[in-house]
Amino acid sequence: MSKTNLSTFATALALVVGCGGVPKPEARISSDEGAIRGAQEAGANAVPEAALHVKLAQEERQQAMSQIEHGDNHRAAMLLARSEADAELALALARQAAATSDADKAREADESLKTKPE
Amino acid sequence: MKILSIAVVAALVAACGAAVPPEELVDARDAYAKAQQGPAAKYVPADLHVAQEALATAENQFNSDAGSPDTVDDAYIALRKIQRAVALGIAAKADDDKAMAERDMGKTQSQMLNSDERKLREQREQIAHERDDLAKAQQETAAEHAARVEAEKKAADAMDALSKSLAVKKEDRGTVITLSGGVVFATGKADILPGAQTQLNQVADALKTQAEHHFLVGGHTDNQGNDSINDDLSTRRANAVRDYLIVHGVSANAITAQGFGSHQPVGDNHSPEGRAMNRRVEIIVDKGGG
Repeated sequence: MSKTNLSTFATALALVVGCGGVPKPEARISSDEGAIRGAQEAGANAVPEAALHVKLAQEERQQAMSQIEHGDNHRAAMLLARSEADAELALALARQAAATSDADKAREADESLKTKPE
Repeated sequence: MKILSIAVVAALVAACGAAVPPEELVDARDAYAKAQQGPAAKYVPADLHVAQEALATAENQFNSDAGSPDTVDDAYIALRKIQRAVALGIAAKADDDKAMAERDMGKTQSQMLNSDERKLREQREQIAHERDDLAKAQQETAAEHAARVEAEKKAADAMDALSKSLAVKKEDRGTVITLSGGVVFATGKADILPGAQTQLNQVADALKTQAEHHFLVGGHTDNQGNDSINDDLSTRRANAVRDYLIVHGVSANAITAQGFGSHQPVGDNHSPEGRAMNRRVEIIVDKGGG
């Protein structure tokens, strides 16, 4: 191995060790982004409790990005996992709100029909 | 089973006083216990299972490195997955409730529709009955009208026929049929002569066609003799004619008789012709109509 090649290898090794040996969590970044977008498209921002979790997800995502910039990919991956969990919860809460509202309307319509004068 | 082992491990750790679980893990354990009792267990068991695995991961992480930030993160993620399963369970139950309400509403609508259709059918039947009744009544009215027209024509024809052989005049008091006293009775008698029976039969036939009319048989004399005798004779003659007509089919309820003596002359009592005119029997057919 030449002197130059040895230097390059040493530099690369130093970078890997410096990053704690954990690669950038590309897949998590992508899936988290999809989860947040999915929650928003499902109307999570219109449901207060769901909107709160969308906000938490966005904040955790920002923190994760910051950790990546600082080279802590492991911590970033954990924050992205939290963000995705919050986004998925927001989506479920939006669905819960829509479903319970629809059920209430159906029940009211049924009751209204039953009590409708002839 | 997995939860039991987690609990045993947690208890052992606690017994050793090794570590206090983070708040997120405590919350996750509590939330999972509640979720098992809610709709998630029935409606979204797969999502609840995912949450259970996340909780197990958190417990393992806690057991291996209680103080690590990863322990808090894993517990946080487990809690969110449990909350997600709970929300999806409630949503699925709401879907079920909605479907049930819609089925119930459909059933109610169907019942109402059936009820409306039944009422409509009944109303149509009633209208059809009323229409039939009306048509029947119209037919009856038309038949009655035709019968009345026919009866009136028959009555008019009978009177026309009678007028060819007897004196028939229309006056204010009604239609007056006049029979000559000399033809019907012998002088001073009230017995109907056989020769008068043909005329009286014609009169009876004509009167029988005059429905809804009343008949007055009036006996009249000339002024020969005293009033007492003439009044009595005219009354007896009127009764004799009335009885004859009743025997020959005229309704007894429709006919009355009265003697007028010589009080209503129609001719001059100073001449034989005039006295002959005064000796008469009049049958007055009233104008009818009640």
